[in-house]
Amino acid sequence: MKVHGIAFRLASLTLLVSSLILASIVGYNYTVSRSIIMDQAEDRGTLLARATSSRISNVLTSVRKVADAVSFSLEDGSLSEKRLNDLGNHIISDNPEIFGTAIAFEPYAFKADQEYYAPYHYRSQNRIAFTRLGGPDYQYFYMDWYQLPRELDRPVWTEPYFDEGGGHQLMSTYSVPFHRKRFDEKTLAGVVTADISLGWIKTMLSDLSEREAGYVFMLSRYGTFLAHPDADLVQNETIFSWAETLGRADIRELGRRMVAGESGIEEVDGLPLTGDSFLYFTSLPDQQWSIGVVFPKEAMFADVFRLNREVATLGILGFIALALLIIYLATRITRPLCNLTSSANEMASGNLDADVPVAASRDEVGELTASFLTMRESLKGYIANLTETTAAKERIESELRIAHDIQMGILPKLFPAFPERKEFDVYASIEPAKEVGGDLYDFFFLDDDHFCFLVGDVSGKGVPAAFFMAVTKTLLKVVAERDFDPGVVLAKVNDDLAEDNEACMFVTLFLAVIDIDSGETRYASAGHNPPLLLPADGPCEWVPPLNELVAGVMEGTSYTTKTMRMNPGDTLFIYTDGVTEAMDKDNNLYSEDRLMEEVNQCGGRSAESIIRTVAASIKAFTGGAEQSDDITMLAMQYLGSRKTNKEKHDGNND
Amino acid sequence: MEITIEKRDAGTLVRVGGRMDAVAAPDFEKECAGVVESGEKLVVVDLAQLEYISSAGLRSILATAKKIKATGGAMKFSGLAGMVEEVFQVSGLGTLFEVAATPDEAF
Repeated sequence: MKVHGIAFRLASLTLLVSSLILASIVGYNYTVSRSIIMDQAEDRGTLLARATSSRISNVLTSVRKVADAVSFSLEDGSLSEKRLNDLGNHIISDNPEIFGTAIAFEPYAFKADQEYYAPYHYRSQNRIAFTRLGGPDYQYFYMDWYQLPRELDRPVWTEPYFDEGGGHQLMSTYSVPFHRKRFDEKTLAGVVTADISLGWIKTMLSDLSEREAGYVFMLSRYGTFLAHPDADLVQNETIFSWAETLGRADIRELGRRMVAGESGIEEVDGLPLTGDSFLYFTSLPDQQWSIGVVFPKEAMFADVFRLNREVATLGILGFIALALLIIYLATRITRPLCNLTSSANEMASGNLDADVPVAASRDEVGELTASFLTMRESLKGYIANLTETTAAKERIESELRIAHDIQMGILPKLFPAFPERKEFDVYASIEPAKEVGGDLYDFFFLDDDHFCFLVGDVSGKGVPAAFFMAVTKTLLKVVAERDFDPGVVLAKVNDDLAEDNEACMFVTLFLAVIDIDSGETRYASAGHNPPLLLPADGPCEWVPPLNELVAGVMEGTSYTTKTMRMNPGDTLFIYTDGVTEAMDKDNNLYSEDRLMEEVNQCGGRSAESIIRTVAASIKAFTGGAEQSDDITMLAMQYLGSRKTNKEKHDGNND
Repeated sequence: MEITIEKRDAGTLVRVGGRMDAVAAPDFEKECAGVVESGEKLVVVDLAQLEYISSAGLRSILATAKKIKATGGAMKFSGLAGMVEEVFQVSGLGTLFEVAATPDEAF
């Protein structure tokens, strides 16, 4: 595909736009799905934290209720030792969640002789075991589970502890003080406890943690880890000491909020185990414990990433399919154009028979191809026509050229024309225009002493003029050889030409006959430009015009014969209007004045030299402008009679 | 070449201006032929605005004159000046036709 071609531009523009659309779809999809997932995760995290908290609360509340009920029944001071034992047994057997229960009395409160009285029932290997607490090495009065409710005079959940006395596991104890009437006064009689293993909480939380992507942990009221997937933390670290170890102020602040019993959601980056995570937390109000649910962002957004990856993959596949389709379509559209272009180029280089692709489709390209075919046919027709016309024109031109050659051939061209005659020097030239014209000149002897010379100009141009010129020249010679008088010759020739001259063609003629012995020259003019006479010694002058009608127009016209005498060295310069009307590029005429000036410079030169000088002057004047008329000049220079020459010659010899 | 034809009571005045050469001459001949064919007996050709006339121009004048003569009419000229007057004089055409100074004098 060409870089500047339609196909490339179409494809690249469409693909650019579609990739922008694709990118915005993927971006939008990512943003929206991320926000949906975050909302869902928030709901789920919050829900999970609350559900866990309420499940734990439920169990603990039932334990509390049992202990509260027991403490109430212990208000009765008449309970026997056996009943007390039964009570202990029942508590354990009826409440599977209770691990052990102690009914501990104030010193000497149950029996006056016994300082310690605290029966303790607990589970051991699927049966209920019994032991008595207290002794010099276990003075329970000073233990937290006894002292705290006693001093505060209200039920207390102890900080979870690792029980070494009975259960050998993480326990928490709910202790309720009970009172008895003594001296009509209600005084504290002892404390009843319900030990509850926190093992099930740990199991429940780790089950939850396994089901979820993240994990659940629990803090005591002082921030001690009660449950955490990292077993080293449990009971060994508080959230505050842990934050210190990690060097994380934000975790410490979080711990403070959790311990204060708040609920909430927090984004925590770089947590151990889960990395960047969301933390949902809530509290157990009774125990002042706190539950935290941690969701790693990575796991949460895994779905978003997967979804986006799939959307992007689908998009890219779509993009590739689209690209292929567009390239295919664009190429399909432009291929005929390319083919047409190469055909056009071939045609432009002259091969009109170049193959033009078939216009199969009816679209714009098809129309173009059809127009192109029409153009080719027109061109072919035009060229054929042109070839024919050119051939015809060439034939005509060739015939005209031949006619012109024939026309020029009938004029005397050989110079010097009469090398043996020393009495005169004659020279003539004709510079034909491009188109065949009708100028003529001629010179011939009428007899030994009489020499006839003439210049003529037939009206118009082309083949008719050429014919008329040939006829005139022939007539002139025939008539002049019979009648020596120029006026008579012109009159006769005029009559012959005027007869049946429907086209009204005419010819201007200047005809002179010189007696070469005497230099006497008789001449007549039929509307011809006046010639110049250049005397041997002095400035030239116009031969006075006779203003008689051009020949060939009107039968019966008569022409005057004038006589003048040429002295040896005199030159008669006869020309046609092609000389004086020669034009330069600005359409200025050469003019009679310029001709006269030029001829004046030629005193003492030969006839040939005079004509060559004037011809060069005309050429310089026109400066290459196209010549519109024949330029014809004839110079007749009289050198003196044979006798005179001979005398001169003999004289010189003497 | 510019040609204007003006019909007058006494005849038709044909004014010719510009250059009357081999290219323009047939137009002149054609225009005048139209006038002659309409039966006009007197045609006055005013050449006051004519700058140049070639031999082909003269021929077309002669051809027109011949046509008019054949119908028994007459052709007159006026306004000859400069080069045109010279050509008329040299060619002897001035002796062939009646030439007046202005068109009004010719009618």
